[in-house]
Amino acid sequence: MEERLLHPADGNSTSRQFGGAAPFFVGLVVALIFGWWAFPGLLFSEQEQPINFSHKVHIQDAEMECSACHYFREDGTFAGLPTTESCAECHSDEPLGEDPEEARFIKEYVETGKEVKWHVYQAQPDNVFFSHAAHSMESCNSCHDFTETELCSQCHIDVANMDKAPTYYENKLTKYSKQTMKMWQCERCHAHPEHYGVTRSSNACFVCHK
Amino acid sequence: MAVDRRGFLKFVAGATTGVLATPVPWKLLDDASIWTQNWSWIPRNVDGENSYVSTISKLCPSAAGMKVRLVGERPVRVLPDDNHPLSMGGITALAAAEVQLMYSPSRVKRPLKHAGDGAYVAISWEEAEKMLKENLRRAGSKVAYVSGDETGTINELLSAMAKESGSDDFYVMPSEIQPAALAFANMNGKGQLGYDIENSDYVFAIGANILESWGTVLRNRAAFKKSHPAAEKPTVKFVYAGPVQNNTAAGADEWLPAKSGAEAIVAMGIANLLIKSGASVNAPDFAEFKALAAMYTPQKVAALAGVAPARLKAITAELSKAQRPIVLTGSEFGQGTGVATVLAGTAVNMLLGSFGREGGVKALPLAPKVIASGMDRSESAQKDLVAYLSRISAGKVPMPRAMVFYEANPVYGLPQPAAMAKVMDKVPFRVAFTSFLDETAKACDLILPTPLGLERFDDVETPYGIGQAFYGLARPVAPCVIDGKPAADVLLSVAGQLNMDLGFATFEEILQAKAEAAGADWESLMEGEFFTSNAVAEQSGLRLAAGVIGKALAAAPKAAKLSIAPVQKLNIGTPNTAIPPYNNKTIRRWELQKNEMYVAMNGATARELGVMKHERIKLSNSSGSIQARVNIFEGVMPNTIAVLMGFGHTAFDEFSKGKGENVMELLTVGYEAGTGQSVWNVAGVNVSKA
Repeated sequence: MEERLLHPADGNSTSRQFGGAAPFFVGLVVALIFGWWAFPGLLFSEQEQPINFSHKVHIQDAEMECSACHYFREDGTFAGLPTTESCAECHSDEPLGEDPEEARFIKEYVETGKEVKWHVYQAQPDNVFFSHAAHSMESCNSCHDFTETELCSQCHIDVANMDKAPTYYENKLTKYSKQTMKMWQCERCHAHPEHYGVTRSSNACFVCHK
Repeated sequence: MAVDRRGFLKFVAGATTGVLATPVPWKLLDDASIWTQNWSWIPRNVDGENSYVSTISKLCPSAAGMKVRLVGERPVRVLPDDNHPLSMGGITALAAAEVQLMYSPSRVKRPLKHAGDGAYVAISWEEAEKMLKENLRRAGSKVAYVSGDETGTINELLSAMAKESGSDDFYVMPSEIQPAALAFANMNGKGQLGYDIENSDYVFAIGANILESWGTVLRNRAAFKKSHPAAEKPTVKFVYAGPVQNNTAAGADEWLPAKSGAEAIVAMGIANLLIKSGASVNAPDFAEFKALAAMYTPQKVAALAGVAPARLKAITAELSKAQRPIVLTGSEFGQGTGVATVLAGTAVNMLLGSFGREGGVKALPLAPKVIASGMDRSESAQKDLVAYLSRISAGKVPMPRAMVFYEANPVYGLPQPAAMAKVMDKVPFRVAFTSFLDETAKACDLILPTPLGLERFDDVETPYGIGQAFYGLARPVAPCVIDGKPAADVLLSVAGQLNMDLGFATFEEILQAKAEAAGADWESLMEGEFFTSNAVAEQSGLRLAAGVIGKALAAAPKAAKLSIAPVQKLNIGTPNTAIPPYNNKTIRRWELQKNEMYVAMNGATARELGVMKHERIKLSNSSGSIQARVNIFEGVMPNTIAVLMGFGHTAFDEFSKGKGENVMELLTVGYEAGTGQSVWNVAGVNVSKA
């Protein structure tokens, strides 16, 4: 029977075989790989949009502006996503292009009058009040020199040149989007002293949490 | 290569160190906190497109024009309507709460019948209609209808049902409209008195609480706002005479303290001074009026109304100098005033040349009635509910066998409510058409839930106080959230079963006919437009009714040593709505604390009574008593105690029930000599420490 010794007399111990700092570093590397590489994949589930929407086709080929669909109403509220009814102003009976997704959109949504349950990359919880009207070209460009795309992409994914709608990552724990902005991201502007001086974009709780 | 215990622990230490250097713990902590936002009781927004529907509040007595904001199909908020002639960009605290009131915990959700053991039993609409029909049939001509709606055509339907059964007993809950209608009838006038405040250059409100409870409050406020630009000199002078520095007095350029119920005396004092300076009226009884007015010298007015003679003279001089002055008379708490008050005020307007002139008093044409057997506005406005109940109590008229209450809450809202409720209690069958489980509903045998103004079709015709004829529709902006039916539809169905021929099958047909009679276009009304007209009713042989004023003032009761002055504030609600939940926040610290209300008196009165601020007192007189704490406020006349209205509900919800006490308990009903109209704007009171 093998003799198990805590302190082998021959000095040729197992700790010397797998000894010193090696286990520590193995653990460290495993954790770093898990934390930085595997964990995000485990935390988020990948979901595709119900219909593929090409912003590129609409902007480059159809020469539309972002504001053709994502516009402000007369009362100052932001329209957000267009309804099926507004899409049907162009996509009604016959598909305009050859993309099978467009044909599917007409068949499944326009003809049935159903709304598309788009995944919103930037959706915020209900306890956050965000007004697009206060974050407009007019207010931000009083100092900056943003283009519309630059301003929007401060928070949103820049989809203008994308042919495929980006994958939506849903946090399995919170059920919110991966792109949902966190308080610190809002505070990049709101906590900036110069912003407060110019736009009165106070960092007080009630500015966003109503 | 074997891993021993030490190696394993080193591995764990390394892994732990490594994990701390990755997003894992921080991200999980962050996510855990975000996850807490998903707890099931946290309210969720439901997205939808914004839209706005223009309509009129049927809950606010000032008939506020408003815009309702909808998200998808759900109403979420009431906003002011800049283009509406009844609001002109303003909103009242009551109209603003309309959406919230749809979900009030005190709403009646389904038809209820009061069982013998006092419990409420839910019944079906079929059963409810059957019960209503059978009881109305049994009651025959011994039926009375009471309405809480002052401006709606439903009153024609209710009065027609009374008439068809052989009864004359249709009454509207008391307000400013009854004394005004009786006064104008006494003057031989036709139409409804209207006041063109917007175009006036000097507004003198005697009692009439024009920025809070008198007339179309929002329209009055818009006129006040326009003439009082911020940081600039006012273009129109507003003067208020009354016992308390209420909201109107606080806004006015000048507050003239005058005793509660002494409005007619102040007006007669001014008439006297005007006549002395040469003013006259082309009326058959002017000489009689002149002789009567001569009795109201500044000294007498000072003695009876507490107005300083110099200030009365100064205001009269200013009125004479003004180009388009207007005098408004009424009760400082919106009810209980006598016919003589309106008559004296109208006489002053005539002496000033303000009758029938822009910026003055007008006689507005009212649309003719559309249900042949119903009562028209001026006919129904002259009916006196308080007098009727008193006559029943005295055995002078027979007790009805059935009473129908339509959105009216007399058990809470009438003077001497306990005595009035006692009379109604003896009626064998009582039915309430109501949205809320109010005091009257709780005293009824059958409770029928009505949709609120935001959930039904209804109309508003020329509210009292407005300076031009008006007609508009209240439109349903949302589906009814309870199992309610519009009262008009239920009544039309029951009328049909009782073989009454009202000439209409649906309420919509009645409204269409009314719109046409008013001169409005139905299609545009349905799109949210409204009808206004500057036409006036032709008059001939207008009198001052000096005899009526003389009799009323000669027999007026002498003011008590210590009197109460009720104060109405719209944010504290009406008998029909109680205090809307959000509005509890707007009640001030020295108005209500928890369940205890405060009454206000000035320092001198408090010293004389030997009471201190916050001290608990009992106010009592022959009608009843209430308890309250003392607040010292120098904006109250000496020997006067200001008491807020709207407290002391025994029904509704946790936001209203048991909060303070009901000032109506102290208001004693008297009858005006010469007209017989019930009055309760003067009440003496005794104070003792509680």
